[in-house]
Amino acid sequence: MSREALQESLSAVMDNEADELELRRVLNAFDDTQTRDTWSRYQVARAVMHKDLLIPRLDIASAVSAALAEEQVPAKVVRGPWRSIGRLAVAASVTVAVLAGVRLYNQDDIVGAQLAQQAAPQSLSAPMAKGPAVLANYSESSDQATGPMANGVLQGQPGWHDQRLPGYLRQHAQQAALKGSESPLPYARAASLENR
Amino acid sequence: MRVLPLLSLLLCGWFVVPAHADDAQDWLKRLGQAEQQHSYQGTFVYERNGSFSTHSIWHRVQDGKVRERLMQLDGAAQEVIRADGRTECVTGKMVSGPGDVSAVSARQLDTQKLNDWYAVTKRGDSRVAGRPVAVISLTPRDQHRYGFELYLDRETGLPLKSLLLNDKGQLLERFQFTSLETTTPDDSELKPTGLCRPVATADTAAPVVTTAHAWHSDWLPPGFEQISSTVRRDPRTKSEVTSLLYDDGLTRFSVFLEPLQGTAVPDARVQLGPTVAVSRHLTTPQGDMIATVVGEIPLGTAERIALSMRVGKDESQTKP
Repeated sequence: MSREALQESLSAVMDNEADELELRRVLNAFDDTQTRDTWSRYQVARAVMHKDLLIPRLDIASAVSAALAEEQVPAKVVRGPWRSIGRLAVAASVTVAVLAGVRLYNQDDIVGAQLAQQAAPQSLSAPMAKGPAVLANYSESSDQATGPMANGVLQGQPGWHDQRLPGYLRQHAQQAALKGSESPLPYARAASLENR
Repeated sequence: MRVLPLLSLLLCGWFVVPAHADDAQDWLKRLGQAEQQHSYQGTFVYERNGSFSTHSIWHRVQDGKVRERLMQLDGAAQEVIRADGRTECVTGKMVSGPGDVSAVSARQLDTQKLNDWYAVTKRGDSRVAGRPVAVISLTPRDQHRYGFELYLDRETGLPLKSLLLNDKGQLLERFQFTSLETTTPDDSELKPTGLCRPVATADTAAPVVTTAHAWHSDWLPPGFEQISSTVRRDPRTKSEVTSLLYDDGLTRFSVFLEPLQGTAVPDARVQLGPTVAVSRHLTTPQGDMIATVVGEIPLGTAERIALSMRVGKDESQTKP
């Protein structure tokens, strides 16, 4: 899988516009540190654009993963009542990890104004240097999305289709317009094809 | 005593619901008759992806005869004159295609048929071109056609605005009057300009050839019927091109079938505003052919039709 495609998916996930497949692709690739770095960079960039407060190094996901990794073994070995306790422990540690993260976040919120002044410019400089990654990605994706259907104009279909499809489009419009239609709409369609 | 107002309210509700449904049907009926009953003149705009144009129309109904002149106001002066659904003349550029442009007579709007394939509802009232209109929406009952939103003039029932919407509710094209007067246009306004070329019933420029090939489709979206079939020889490639036109009462699509004569042609898909074109390669006993479906239908439907074209007459079809 290409790096660009993954980055595109990442940005889609962040904008809450990813489809099922993209989400899966991102989740699969998330063990990769490079992907995670990209993700956090995107978050920083977005926070700057939205003027949100951000703690760049806050990584709840890894804390949760670490907690899960540690708790896994006893939960499996112990049977009976201990098993449920083990599960509880996992749940508890996840909760603790999340709460810790939230608390950390809230604490910073209290000193918000101060921290925003300090942290924001710092994080600003980093994404600005790497900023084009995000911006370039947008233009890239719009380039890729074009294909043969770019803005209704025939593209990249050399030869036969170049000659024939416009002719067929015109012929259809004329047939529809001229073969006993009451409404002026098919006529307008036909005329609009002639204007190209 | 308290029951009485409640009862009347209930009764009211009982009557209002069907009355509402009938209302939309009435509007559809008025729409079907409007073009045959009212003279008018006005200007309208047509907009689709990548194109915007303005047009004038003069429409006269006299002694049951309809005469109409259409003229594009921007760019090339494209003109069409129609009388009782027959095209009398068109400007040079527009008549490059089919031979028998006037073979099919005017089709009336079949409200019963429309109701089979579209859910018709009245959405409310609005204003278009300074006139009060009723908003009627035609929502397709399957995924094989697009929906319409029609804005019908309260006075005449004429469609003053028509929007074509896909299944996601995205606008594909807009047809909208900017001004309309219900005065009768006089003879001078219906007279063609010098550029308008008369259309003969049998056009000699594109000779119609008889052919052994006959085509039918294994699958058609429900409600669509073939309304015309022509075979003509392409002047450039000298190959016979069969063109078929299908109609569901509101939407139309064409199928073009052309022999490939050894050239390798990739399959293609193009979307031009509301109109889609899909080319598909077919292998037949007579050799390789390419089927191109063009129409105001969703892409998936067009693709399925293209793949369903077969050589030979359909036994179940009574009409040739």
